Amino acid sequence: MTQIAGKLFTWLNARLPIVNTFERHLSKHPVPSKVNFWYLFGALASVVLIIQIVSGIWLIMPYSNTEEQAFSSVEYIMRDVDYGWVIRYIHTTGASLFFAVIYLHMFRGLLYGSYQKPKELVWVFGCTIYLAMMAEGFLGYVLPYGQMSYWGAQVIISLFGAIPYIGESLELWVRGDYYISGITISRFFALHVVALPLVLIALVFLHLVALHEVGAGNPEGVDIEAHLDDDGVPLDSVPFFPYKVLNALVGIGVFMTVFSVIMFFFPEGGGYFIEMANFQEANPLVTPEHIAPVWYYAPFYTMLRAVPDPLGGLIVMGSAVAIFFVVPWLDRSKVASIRYKGLYSKIALTMFGVSFITLGYLGTVGVTEIRKTMSVICTIIYFAYFLLMPIYTKYETTKVVPQRL
Amino acid sequence: MINKFFYKVLFFLLISFISNEVYSAEGGPCKDYGECDKFKYSLNDFESLQRGASAFINYCYGCHSLKYSRWGRVAKDLKIPEDIFFENLVFDKSIKAGDLMIGAMPSNSANWFGVMPPDLTLVSRYKGDDWIYSYLRAYYEDSSKQYGVNNLVYPGTAMPNVLMSLQGNQKLVCKNIPVKAENGGEKRDEYGITITNEKCGFLEVEQGTGTLTREEFDNLIYDITNFLVYVGEPSKATRERIGWYVVFYFLIFTAVSSLLYREYHKDYLKK
Repeated sequence: MTQIAGKLFTWLNARLPIVNTFERHLSKHPVPSKVNFWYLFGALASVVLIIQIVSGIWLIMPYSNTEEQAFSSVEYIMRDVDYGWVIRYIHTTGASLFFAVIYLHMFRGLLYGSYQKPKELVWVFGCTIYLAMMAEGFLGYVLPYGQMSYWGAQVIISLFGAIPYIGESLELWVRGDYYISGITISRFFALHVVALPLVLIALVFLHLVALHEVGAGNPEGVDIEAHLDDDGVPLDSVPFFPYKVLNALVGIGVFMTVFSVIMFFFPEGGGYFIEMANFQEANPLVTPEHIAPVWYYAPFYTMLRAVPDPLGGLIVMGSAVAIFFVVPWLDRSKVASIRYKGLYSKIALTMFGVSFITLGYLGTVGVTEIRKTMSVICTIIYFAYFLLMPIYTKYETTKVVPQRL
Repeated sequence: MINKFFYKVLFFLLISFISNEVYSAEGGPCKDYGECDKFKYSLNDFESLQRGASAFINYCYGCHSLKYSRWGRVAKDLKIPEDIFFENLVFDKSIKAGDLMIGAMPSNSANWFGVMPPDLTLVSRYKGDDWIYSYLRAYYEDSSKQYGVNNLVYPGTAMPNVLMSLQGNQKLVCKNIPVKAENGGEKRDEYGITITNEKCGFLEVEQGTGTLTREEFDNLIYDITNFLVYVGEPSKATRERIGWYVVFYFLIFTAVSSLLYREYHKDYLKK
């Protein structure tokens, strides 16, 4: 039996680079020997991506992408489909935790300079993934066709209308109708389940290929390639498989525990993961008391609201996402990690983190005078972090990075 | 210079976080009622759920459908034998166990109340159980309204107080509330008489107008709300039950994988 299996494997391997790929990307792929928990979120993100794809496939089966049945088919899933509620809650919890993991992953990048030469392209692919995820999340949120789906979509699609000259026709083109209707749902469905997942998988692939080409970073910002052993393997490295895989497995265990606690005990996440108003079927005649986005868009929604002019708001919101793409060229520091950067960088990153969380909170609540002031201040801090980066990273005193990990 | 500015902004943000103004800008969901009364569901109390289902079908189902829920499923989940359930709670004998509870209202019923009575399958999920529990107990007499009643939780509600014969006639009354003294006790004047302030907006049931006592009525509303929580998510009890097993499984998974990781970790610590 084993002989036959061995023969089959040799036959396969002669035609498909199995051993080669396994060694190159797993068992002989060197990764820094010392990293901390911040380096787990990339692995967790790929786990959630798989969870979302698998649970999504199962959701497609009973879901109906029509105006009349979208909402009731979701309730059908929650009630009549065997364990349909498990699948749906996996998908909704997964959506929120996907963003949580990605935000932490991105923050890690800012913390340890994971975008610096030669990892610019890894970072840019990552930002593109984030952009695609935002679109994917939005499209998916419309599908249950609850009140928040409808009115959230109304707000977001009308943003296109703020663009001068082509705005109105663009809005119509995106919606496919003069108002949000079954046509909008079915095209959003197609984009959500086919087009964007394909884009996301392709981008994740490129993200990983680029990463494996330039090598993973570490919290010290040490270039491990500088010290090689006789075989050309970096001294401060361990093979990805099994060491880092096992490390990630522990992280996955913790993550899945958190995941299941939320999914089984707090699936609505206190109204942040599934908004209460979304348990009401979409009604074009009744506007909800206040339209709040799900938490992961909230910071950007606050920025949109902080600017009184719709086009200005759109530009600010767009730039807030777009600015991530150029971070590799804004950072002029000689060192990568926050551990060796100067005081200004530390203050700037703290302020950025605080303002981002504040913006997030403000996006989920109604507007008052003091909140408006706060959102303007936080938006300014958000942009200042990026726009002043060339200055404060260049003129601060940095510490000396050690040679070895 | 820059540091000082940063600290100033940080200080402003911190202060804003502490200040109440940022948090409590909107009124609560229970409007004039103030804070909603807290409701704690008990989905394993089948007697409560059965009483709630029975009360709902008798008092509410005439107007409000539960159109995503099925008759047979309710009977099964609430552990009501199907023959008893269909004999006592299903009035239309053509209904089968697998049918949806689509209600009995004709489509022109909007003319009766000004609005179509909403479907209540998911009301516990979009309004919340606290809200329902408070709302059903917050009706009061108001002769300026179409049905002679108004509601503190939902001012101007179109629904008449269907349960009035049970609850009795509830009125908004004013009460003399003792003024608090600086030392925490009641404030008294020089003759030793407690100084009071008149405050209004208290709900009080007129004696002898209802068939249930206040406690019995509150219990009934508890049961109805509990039933609506069940109908809002029939799998909720199952979810919370099997959740423990899943969490336990992943804790074991984490423990085993961290032991395995520790074992392999020794390899490269030697290097």
